[in-house]
Amino acid sequence: MGVLSDPKGYWADLTRAERGVVASIVGFAVLLFAGLLTGALSPTYFLFLVGIAGMYALLSLGLNSQWGFSGLINFSVAAFFGIGAYGTSLMSADSSPIAGGYLPIVGLFVALVVAAIIALAIGIPTLRLRADYLAIASLGLAEVVRLVVLNERQITNGSAGVRGIPPFFEGWPVLATLPQQMPGLVIRPFPGTELVLETPFWGALLNVVVVMAFVGISYGVLRRAHRSPWGRVLRTIRSDEDLARALGKNTYGFKMQSFVLGSVIMALAGVFYAHLNLFVSPGDLDPVTTFYVWVAVILGGSGSNRGALFGGVVIVTIREGTRFLSGLSGFVLDLGVVALQFDLSFISSNVAPLRFLLIGVLIVVLMRYRPQGVLPPQRELIWPKVVNDPPSKLRSGVRETKAGGDDE
Amino acid sequence: MVLDLLASGLVFSSIIVLGSIGLSLIYSIADFANFAHGDTMTVGAYAAFVTFGAIGGLGGGILSLPLGFFVALVVGIVAAAVVAVLTEKIVYDGMNASSIQLLITSIGIAFIYRAVIQMGFGADFTRFDVEPLRPIEALLPYGIRVTEHDVAIVVSAVVLVGGLHTLLQYTDLGRKMRAMADNPDLARVSGIRTDRIKLWTWIIGAGLAGSGGVFLGLYNQLSPRMGFNLLLLIFAAVILGGIGSVYGAMLGGLLIGVINQLTPVLSDIRLLTDMGAILPLVPDSFGIVIGIEYANAIAFVIMVAVLLVRPNGIAGEAV
Repeated sequence: MGVLSDPKGYWADLTRAERGVVASIVGFAVLLFAGLLTGALSPTYFLFLVGIAGMYALLSLGLNSQWGFSGLINFSVAAFFGIGAYGTSLMSADSSPIAGGYLPIVGLFVALVVAAIIALAIGIPTLRLRADYLAIASLGLAEVVRLVVLNERQITNGSAGVRGIPPFFEGWPVLATLPQQMPGLVIRPFPGTELVLETPFWGALLNVVVVMAFVGISYGVLRRAHRSPWGRVLRTIRSDEDLARALGKNTYGFKMQSFVLGSVIMALAGVFYAHLNLFVSPGDLDPVTTFYVWVAVILGGSGSNRGALFGGVVIVTIREGTRFLSGLSGFVLDLGVVALQFDLSFISSNVAPLRFLLIGVLIVVLMRYRPQGVLPPQRELIWPKVVNDPPSKLRSGVRETKAGGDDE
Repeated sequence: MVLDLLASGLVFSSIIVLGSIGLSLIYSIADFANFAHGDTMTVGAYAAFVTFGAIGGLGGGILSLPLGFFVALVVGIVAAAVVAVLTEKIVYDGMNASSIQLLITSIGIAFIYRAVIQMGFGADFTRFDVEPLRPIEALLPYGIRVTEHDVAIVVSAVVLVGGLHTLLQYTDLGRKMRAMADNPDLARVSGIRTDRIKLWTWIIGAGLAGSGGVFLGLYNQLSPRMGFNLLLLIFAAVILGGIGSVYGAMLGGLLIGVINQLTPVLSDIRLLTDMGAILPLVPDSFGIVIGIEYANAIAFVIMVAVLLVRPNGIAGEAV
């Protein structure tokens, strides 16, 4: 029952929340497309936003495989994101104080390995801790990572950050020069507006392809893992760790696997960010990123991979959408009889705290009224085949056999 | 040098202690790690800042602080308590949630406090309008550089903590609070109105946090992030002392504050600098000098170590 083959059946099959999400995604996509066509949103910036959204989706997928799958409260998302970003940029950037000049793919590999090692190093002491202790300890260790990155100038360039990071496909056979070789296009959807598609656009498009591939692979892996026996053990640990232990499972080992898996995916997001932004600095390890990602996961529904994707996109909308507010200065509404003047300078001069307020209110409202999130993992946990066409063997199940066959 | 660091450690400890007592109280009675506690300190500091700006000096002075400052301190305490009680009534009360959900909610609360303060006062640093003092002359021969303001911070903290001790040990409310921290269910069936005790806990905890914020503003500067930046140190203090134990929080706060200020001593040891000479394949200059910039990191590492070795902290009961 795909969306394309049977749209009506697909729609009828959704829960109310899912319908709301689908409707809002479609509405949002229409809005964005309209913005693109009318020239309000430049195509290159739009693709940059898609890239950032993909990055947040990766981060929330990573956190979801820790918190959503096995209930680990990890407040060091920003640290692993930073390790990924620094890992790859220190390998590939010109200004790197230690290595530098390697291909980004080497950087990717090194970043993921380093993230896995640091995840192990942080996980070995902390994963034995009770849930809320783990939260505090991981936040503290993330701060330690940030302080080291900030202060070890001979390794990380300190507060100056790392510049001169090559794009992801640098040094690849065809893809490296693809953006330059693509023809420049000018599209005029309406008279008076024109879309210019040139090298930056094709470069951004390539970045989007990269992040889509990252997200796609991670999503596929996590979806498979979530439904596998391994994922079932994790869910048991999340709901009742003592039970899992009583069933003979090494809960510490399983938690460690889930922690490392999630941390590597977070580092992958960092790798992408480094090659998208071409500059990383210790500011990227600010704990605020951690809380953004937490909101994304809770909003989407803890444990739900689709929810993590959705939450990631919503967070980018809040983060980047509020940037447009800074252009507001106020407007006058002329009603003929009386002219109302609205002064919006308060909003535009307070964008940063406003974004903060929005995130804070979102957390409180969610936890109070819908702690399970918008898209709780209802049917994600079961192979859809089991629900849609039950195996025919059931008809001749144990009961019938014992009862001596057919009653009909 | 060391005496001076110890003295400034004592001053910093006073602030940490004021924050950690409240966090520990709320941890034991409301049963969750309140991430908004640091920002409650900020609320107190800014309330005092506004009051002090409005009423000014009011003549006179104790330890070079005008009387108006102490009025502002009281306003800061009250404001923090009121904000915390309102938050409890509006948000936490009636939430049928696990301690993890409450923890996450409190992060949202922290963001809201900080955002509102930043909207009102901007993100920049400000100061209380009191004259900066020279260090006390009599102590200079010993190498100790503390101002009368620092003495005022320590004395006020001692007074507040002493008051709390009296309250806990010799009043009816204190006994009930201790009973409830010990075993909430038993306290409820014994006829203690636990809701009321919970409310008092919020008032006392947030009030102490507010005073800590005011002193932090006097000691350093005020900024919307001031409390949040201190939060992890306070958690370290509470965990070191033993969660739920008020006296443990005092001890933990004292230790964390002093250790924090003593880090310059460590940079003389040059702990890991000569690793390169020992390890093969490592450049000779490789190594980490533990300097003042790692003061907080040391506290966090202590925190994790305590959690691993003795999760109940110094003063916590062994389970």
